[in-house]
Amino acid sequence: MTGKPPHDEVLGLEDLHVTVHDGAATAVRGVSLSVAAGEIVGLVGESGSGKTLTCRAALGVLPQGCAVGQGTISFEREDVTDLSRRGWEHLHGTGMGAVFQDPASYLNPNLTVGSQLAEVLRVKQRLRRREAHRKSIDLLAAVGLHRPDWVFHQIPAELSGGMLQRVMIAIAISCEPRLLIADEATTALDVTIQAEIIELLRELRDQRGLAVLFVSHDLAVIRELCDRVVVFYAGEVVESGPVEEIIERPRHPYTQALLHVASVGDFRRRELRVIPGQPPRAGADITGCRFAGRCPAAIEACRSGPVSLVPLSHVHQARCVRAADPEFTAVPVTTAATTADAEAAELAAR
Amino acid sequence: MAVAELTAAGGALAAPRRRRTRAAASRIGGGLAVLIPILVLSSFITYSLGALSNSNPAATILGQDAATPAAVAHLDHVLGLDKPLPVQYGNWLAQAVRGNLGVSYFTQIPVSQSIAQRLPVDLSIAIGAIILAVLIGGTAGTVAAVRRGGWVDRGVTLACSAVSTLPAFVVGIILVVAFAVTAHVLPANGYTGPTAGIGPWLAHIILPSLALALPVAADVARQLRTSLVSVLEQNYITGAKVRGLPYRRILTRHALRNAAGPALTILGNDFPVMLAGAVAAEAVFSLPGLGQLLLEAAQTRDIPVVQGVLLVVSTFVIVINLIVNTVLGLLYRSADGVGV
Amino acid sequence: MTRMTRTTRRPPHSSVLRLPSARIAVAILAVILFLAIFGSALAPQSPLAIDAGALYKGPSLHHLLGTDYLGRDVLSRLMAGTRLSVLTAFEAVGIGLVIGAPLGVATVFLGRWFDFTANRVADALMTLPSIFFAVAVTAALGNGLVQAMFPVGILLIPGFYRVTRAATLEFGRAQYVEAAELLGGSKLHVIRVHVLRKVLPTIAVTTATAAAGALLAVSFLTFLGIGVQPPTPTWGGVLSSDLDYLNLAPWAPFIPGALIAITVGALNALADAYRDRAGAGALLSPVADPVIKTHSTLQALEAADDRQTAA
Repeated sequence: MTGKPPHDEVLGLEDLHVTVHDGAATAVRGVSLSVAAGEIVGLVGESGSGKTLTCRAALGVLPQGCAVGQGTISFEREDVTDLSRRGWEHLHGTGMGAVFQDPASYLNPNLTVGSQLAEVLRVKQRLRRREAHRKSIDLLAAVGLHRPDWVFHQIPAELSGGMLQRVMIAIAISCEPRLLIADEATTALDVTIQAEIIELLRELRDQRGLAVLFVSHDLAVIRELCDRVVVFYAGEVVESGPVEEIIERPRHPYTQALLHVASVGDFRRRELRVIPGQPPRAGADITGCRFAGRCPAAIEACRSGPVSLVPLSHVHQARCVRAADPEFTAVPVTTAATTADAEAAELAAR
Repeated sequence: MAVAELTAAGGALAAPRRRRTRAAASRIGGGLAVLIPILVLSSFITYSLGALSNSNPAATILGQDAATPAAVAHLDHVLGLDKPLPVQYGNWLAQAVRGNLGVSYFTQIPVSQSIAQRLPVDLSIAIGAIILAVLIGGTAGTVAAVRRGGWVDRGVTLACSAVSTLPAFVVGIILVVAFAVTAHVLPANGYTGPTAGIGPWLAHIILPSLALALPVAADVARQLRTSLVSVLEQNYITGAKVRGLPYRRILTRHALRNAAGPALTILGNDFPVMLAGAVAAEAVFSLPGLGQLLLEAAQTRDIPVVQGVLLVVSTFVIVINLIVNTVLGLLYRSADGVGV
Repeated sequence: MTRMTRTTRRPPHSSVLRLPSARIAVAILAVILFLAIFGSALAPQSPLAIDAGALYKGPSLHHLLGTDYLGRDVLSRLMAGTRLSVLTAFEAVGIGLVIGAPLGVATVFLGRWFDFTANRVADALMTLPSIFFAVAVTAALGNGLVQAMFPVGILLIPGFYRVTRAATLEFGRAQYVEAAELLGGSKLHVIRVHVLRKVLPTIAVTTATAAAGALLAVSFLTFLGIGVQPPTPTWGGVLSSDLDYLNLAPWAPFIPGALIAITVGALNALADAYRDRAGAGALLSPVADPVIKTHSTLQALEAADDRQTAA
């Protein structure tokens, strides 16, 4: 994406590259995205597509051996790509917060969850013990926990996944950050709890103007929660745009296939659908489109050279040489309407 | 919140704390319950040594000339030596818990008095050694883990391998040579109690404590490094980082707290070895401690003294282990939380 | 019926020697062993020959490691002293191994009650610092090195016991043991063929570490003056006499000290090599187990045992 970032942009990634294995391979290539205040942006893609690494890079907590190769990360329009450890310490908590999958593993198993929440308040906001305790209880109540007093004194092993995720969210927003990064935050939860967490995130956005980067491989959740969605494949952004637009009118063959497989909007799936083949190995160097090997509509031009993002409207773009054609669909996209028609036709035929 | 909910919340607030204190208390109580039989068993074993002895204590006490069969039999009866072993042991133990460990066969000095005289020496160097082992081992292990792979790490690991194979008496000798004989910085031997001046007392115990501490510190450092490296890879460390907590705090309050367990266990296990080293230290540094007492008593076959010293030493070991286990219980509330 | 071919198994010893540290260690130990057998005969001078004119002289052509406080050749004394140290160390390790290892294997099959009692006895033994115990035994049995190493051996038993018990628990309940039993092998046969095979690497590691400990104990005891009458040379004895003359010859104690350290180091290196080779199968040294299993760790370990017994 070129051009000046919107004035209320909270997170901006510009041509981000992330290398792994001490620079041996590039797992994230040229990713650019932007999250504005009060916006919920979804990152969707299968495992290994690079979305988690992108989040980690944005948070400044890349694992050992991984590094930002090229590109910039900016927070509230200030470049933080080469921020010092001190700088990140300051940014974490007060600027950006994060919640992850499997919340139990992200909390110290030997301390009560309350003490870990209060710790953040005491250290970052210099509250005294009693104030921190009181504010912790308030926060736990604000994220929808009943009996926050009781929850405060439990160790992680004594709480359910849903409760722990609420605790994590409470901790993440405790110092009023402007950005929340949620990496598969609902993936490990029951569907009903998932719905509650999603509702909670929406509330937080509405009440506090929180910007949220929401990573998931579950398109139904993304559709439910996000304003915009960015589709990842093999380390690249292959499509991005408003969520309804992407769901109803996907232009990249991968997105189309993904929707087809996931049957988003259609819960009466008849048969298991798969995308044949495997995604390329992380960091593999491929000339041309990285999906071409599995794309049913691949043509010569797809493999000849690098494919850049084609703007389809001022909000929607896709990385496909054929996407500009409005009639082009690589994969038949099933919507509720078409399925209902098909079933009605079948019934009539009997 | 409705009043009913508030009172319920207040009650619920106390419950987990109560439950956890009760769990901790039962842990300590359970520990004691298991340890007391162990103490009894080990003291029985040591007591039996007297029975193994072929020497006839009565004859030894009376001296060669006066040891007529009648006199020996009489003294046996007086000393209770003609009763069966378990009874003898029972009597001895009953007296021992009251603090009466009998009387030396030769000097007629109460055993407990001799022991009490010498105990401060060993206590000083043992406790000094524990403190030094924790400080040195803890620091070395932490630094090695935090700078994993660097030359500091490799240096520390190498030093640990080298030092942990050295027996305490070798280390003691090295220290004496280095600091006392060559550099004349610290005294080579002797002991003055703390009441005679803190300075000289410290000067006299620092080398022996160090001699005991270094091999154990090496073991502790090695274990701590391994545990800490693995704890630092856990998700909750990332979680703490992402909350913006300063690195130092994460290291101490989260990482070290969880990683210290196995290292503490090693410390507890090495404690008997440390005590054995105390005997070496007493020899190398000419300290008037329990080890010397034991050696003399062994030479002269002064059984009550031997039994008394062994009992005190075993108790000491068990107490230290109880402390270690209690600390472990306090640190680790969750079964999975013991630093990997 | 298909003929069951015997799968070839490399004995554990061959691949251990792949590591250079193990090879050096074995070489050192071979030299020590050689000296233990032939040391007194090969010594350049008589270990007892006093030379009043050459007290505490440094290393020279005539005396490769210098002389001691009576002018005796240090090298010869150390060579002659090797036999005593090695033999008595063998004695202690032998006791520990012969009693501890079979007991550890057997306890898994002999019922809960036996297991419980044996564990408590092992715990009690492990609270006694070996040196204190050894010295105490000399009070009872007389001032001899053989007598003194006997309790050292006894105190090595819990180590072997614990380790073999844990290894047997881990492997004894494995599916293939049940399968072998079902196929008609008697329990003893099963133990002998299958379990022992798996447990042997663990025993090897423990033997090496126990030998290191026993050697240290011997040096320590002779250092304290237990068990040997002068002028018989022993490693610890040479060390202790050097201590009295530190002002005269501060370098002197390093020689026997280095000898002890090198031998012990070689044994530890061998143990490490076995441990690496055995990989996940071998249990770490008994040092890593809690000495006193108080209730908390008891519960955890008992629970682990139960899980395995139930499996």
